Amino acid sequence: MKLQHHLGGLENLDTIDYEPRVFVEDWEQRIFGIHVAMMGLSDHLGDSGPRYPIDGVPTAFSSTWTWADLRKGAEAMHPFAYFQYRYYEKWLGGISGFFVSEGYISEEELEAKAAEYLQDPALPLPEGGDGRIDDQVIRYLREGDSPRQGPAESPAFDIGDRVTVKDVPPNDHTRLPGNLRGRTGTVERVCEGNYGYFCSTGPDGIGKPMPVYIVRFEPTDIWGELAEPGAVLYGEMYQAYLNPATEEQQ
Amino acid sequence: MQFGYPENREAASAARVRALEALLIEKGVITGATVDKVLGYFETDMTPLNGAKIVARAWTDPEFAERLVKDTPAAVAELDLPIGMDGAEGEHLQAVANTRGVHNLVICTLCSCFPWPVLGLPPYWYKDPTFRARAAREPRVVLKEIGLDLDPSVELRVWDSSGHSRWFVVPQRPAGTDGMSEEELAALVTTESMIGIAEVPAPAA
Repeated sequence: MKLQHHLGGLENLDTIDYEPRVFVEDWEQRIFGIHVAMMGLSDHLGDSGPRYPIDGVPTAFSSTWTWADLRKGAEAMHPFAYFQYRYYEKWLGGISGFFVSEGYISEEELEAKAAEYLQDPALPLPEGGDGRIDDQVIRYLREGDSPRQGPAESPAFDIGDRVTVKDVPPNDHTRLPGNLRGRTGTVERVCEGNYGYFCSTGPDGIGKPMPVYIVRFEPTDIWGELAEPGAVLYGEMYQAYLNPATEEQQ
Repeated sequence: MQFGYPENREAASAARVRALEALLIEKGVITGATVDKVLGYFETDMTPLNGAKIVARAWTDPEFAERLVKDTPAAVAELDLPIGMDGAEGEHLQAVANTRGVHNLVICTLCSCFPWPVLGLPPYWYKDPTFRARAAREPRVVLKEIGLDLDPSVELRVWDSSGHSRWFVVPQRPAGTDGMSEEELAALVTTESMIGIAEVPAPAA
């Protein structure tokens, strides 16, 4: 079990650190930009919605990189480190680790180059490169990578149905918020079409196209006496995460 | 909570990311312009101004407001906004509207899902594990802590972005805005109000 999968409702935390900025250090923008570029150059895009001509893009990048890969990295962290490091520090660790483990760069050359920039932060970046790489990244931003795949198969649940969230086996990656496991809610909406996920999550159960539902949960059914009055919680649930509610859960 | 950090924490990260970018350019993964072009896209095209324009239209056109909640992508496409509103992290936009008796709050307990094309990139507080953890269980306390004291009679709907939908809030139109143009109204709308941690303040008299 991973703390990162069970953040919702975790108790005894501090007051909110209300920081309205998107980036708090200049360097954070660069790792954000690198991540977006990787998503826009990912080799899976040839098969995704807009059928990007990804094979013809003259980049040396030949891996799959999606949100799922970034999230898996964050979910693989020591739970204390997950709280210790700022958002983009986690990205930097995950992304630089990926380029090393995939053999694009070595840790030694990264450290050597970093030592140069630490010594002289004003050293310029290299210039040049094939503009078709940038065109593809911007095209990805404009056209996206929808997980929706048609045609709609008949969904197992309908609006108003009572459903109980499965307690699927713990896994390296999930889209099931831990606080909803085992809880019973009501289907508020059936999303149109079927939705895949970037990767198969194995025994967790998502990946292949399936119906998705907006499910309404009463906080008292989740938190008991700790629930705040006058609130409702909505989750967006893949069909693989749901069972029909049993009679006593109705 | 206090953790220990190296003294040159930021300088070391800055050097490491610059080294990574330099190596990726040298090896032909990206170009010398890629990162700047990505950042420019979010500075010029995909900003909270898009969301503000959508909200202002909803305030001035009740039929649009209805369509916006019912079929958000189609309604958004009616407006003259930059190309890409249904692009990355906007593929499945979903608006939820505040009313006198209902207030909406968008969160993401598993990561930091956010409707980029309408709101730009998420602020730090939204991505912070403490906010994500606490807003799921005690959203009213959290809202009050950051400045929004909701009346107990208002139903608070919390939307956890665990799937493909990217939620954003249509806040209520503030008092004292009769006769204002769509442009003037859009200028009042804040990012915070479209995530649901604030209301739109009435214009200064």
